[in-house]
Amino acid sequence: MKFLFIYLPYLSFGIFLLGTLYRFWRWAKTPVPLRIVVPPAPQSRLGVVWRLIGDIFWFPNLFHADKLLWAGGFSFHIFLWLVILRHFRYFLYPVPGWVAAIQTLGLYAGYLIPLPLAFLLARRLVIDRALYISILGDYFALVLLLAIAVSGILLKVFFRTYIVDVKALLLGLIHFQPFLADAHWLFALHFLLVMVLLIYFPFGKLMHSGGLVLSPTRNQRANFAQRFVNPWDFPVSYNALNLSRPEKYAQTLAAASEGKKE
Amino acid sequence: MDRRCHPAKEKDMLKIDLPKERLADWKEAMLQKMAEVLNKYRSVRLFLDICVKCGACADKCQFFLGTADPKNMPVARADLFRKVYKRYFTLGGKVWGRANEAEELDEAVLRDWYTYFYQCSECRRCSVFCPYGIDTAEITMAAREIMAAAGVATKYVTEVVAKVYDAGNNLGIWPPAWKDNCAFLEEDLKDTEGLDIKFPVDAVGAEILLVPPSADNFVNTNTMIGYAKMFHAAGISWTTSTYCNEGGNFGLFLNYANLKKANNRILEAARQLKVKKIYWGE
Repeated sequence: MKFLFIYLPYLSFGIFLLGTLYRFWRWAKTPVPLRIVVPPAPQSRLGVVWRLIGDIFWFPNLFHADKLLWAGGFSFHIFLWLVILRHFRYFLYPVPGWVAAIQTLGLYAGYLIPLPLAFLLARRLVIDRALYISILGDYFALVLLLAIAVSGILLKVFFRTYIVDVKALLLGLIHFQPFLADAHWLFALHFLLVMVLLIYFPFGKLMHSGGLVLSPTRNQRANFAQRFVNPWDFPVSYNALNLSRPEKYAQTLAAASEGKKE
Repeated sequence: MDRRCHPAKEKDMLKIDLPKERLADWKEAMLQKMAEVLNKYRSVRLFLDICVKCGACADKCQFFLGTADPKNMPVARADLFRKVYKRYFTLGGKVWGRANEAEELDEAVLRDWYTYFYQCSECRRCSVFCPYGIDTAEITMAAREIMAAAGVATKYVTEVVAKVYDAGNNLGIWPPAWKDNCAFLEEDLKDTEGLDIKFPVDAVGAEILLVPPSADNFVNTNTMIGYAKMFHAAGISWTTSTYCNEGGNFGLFLNYANLKKANNRILEAARQLKVKKIYWGE
């Protein structure tokens, strides 16, 4: 119990924070040598910001790629945003107005979220191409998220836990004054699964959430009028076997008669 | 069906600073180059990590649509690289191994790399549809760079690149032939259309250096005639160069060093001819 409600939360959050920062740092310190931007590429910085906002919230190019997949992915992500925002009521005291306002929307999003998750899982089993490319990490993430969603729904609808104790527990953790509270086993499961997700987060494909912003094909401008310098560029070298070299050309030009009238 | 390209010739590999044949310790050489590429290209590192295997790219690749070969799906093509990356460069890959798509780099994997990374035309259609803009072309470029470092490349690409450093263009049109072609087009235009339009070659001090695809001088001659007519009508002084008359950079299909070297030729030609602008492309 102590492990579950005191040590593991700090451990999992620590791994999540440090792991995510490490992954970001690793990507950020790797240079971008070539300005390869995928069309339709924006010309201005504002255009890039707008493009990235679109990519984060409504993925327009996925819409053009596969409408059914877009529907599943988009609905899952929107419901997830709403669910997470609704959960802020458990982490903040006093509860801000916007969190109180978003409760109903968040609840319905939570009830609906297993639908797109089930669809995404089913397509990885039923569609040939998706089955071919899917790996353990894909199934694990989907099953974990489904388990979190279902346990959450069961908690809310059937197995009502004493919420004051749960909030006290969470606030205790946040303010570094942890204490053990008596909570329903289903809450403990829900909490445990979330912590497993936090631990898994920096290691797998879930990093796509932040990594998208660093994607060089999406976050660069198409301002080719300006020279782009490769940070690790190196000078060309001539091979002894190369027949036509600059010096020889200079000789050719010197001997040529064409263009001399200029 | 065997869709592998003819392998590179020794003489060509030597001309472009690559090992003349597959190295004995090709595996170590490839892994070393992979580590280097992963530290030099954010795109490669990120795209390997970020792919969520949604498969939106799958039916966007014309090579997959044409061959119905699952490894030609952009995601599967990138997976050929990703599985080696996971095995040697990630914690998860070392822990989970084949259960989570991590494979040893062996003959079979190299065979697949050679087969499929030379079936990508680097057109980037897949990345238009990918939610993260994952560019399989950049993965392909990285894979070819890694293979080349170990002495594995195709005849098509290496022969052409080596030719550029000998003749100045992909097709092996030597300077006298280029001059002759241009002279022929001048004559031909005079005979057929009665126009007195020049095709200057190596004219020092012209305003514009034209670097067309060499095929325009060899077979798409109507395009070459078009350039001349356009410059003539605009009254702009122009020239082509026998040192560099290739707009199609095949170094892009091999590795960074050759991409740069082929591009550099254009700059070198422009400097020596003392032109103001370069018109180049394909």
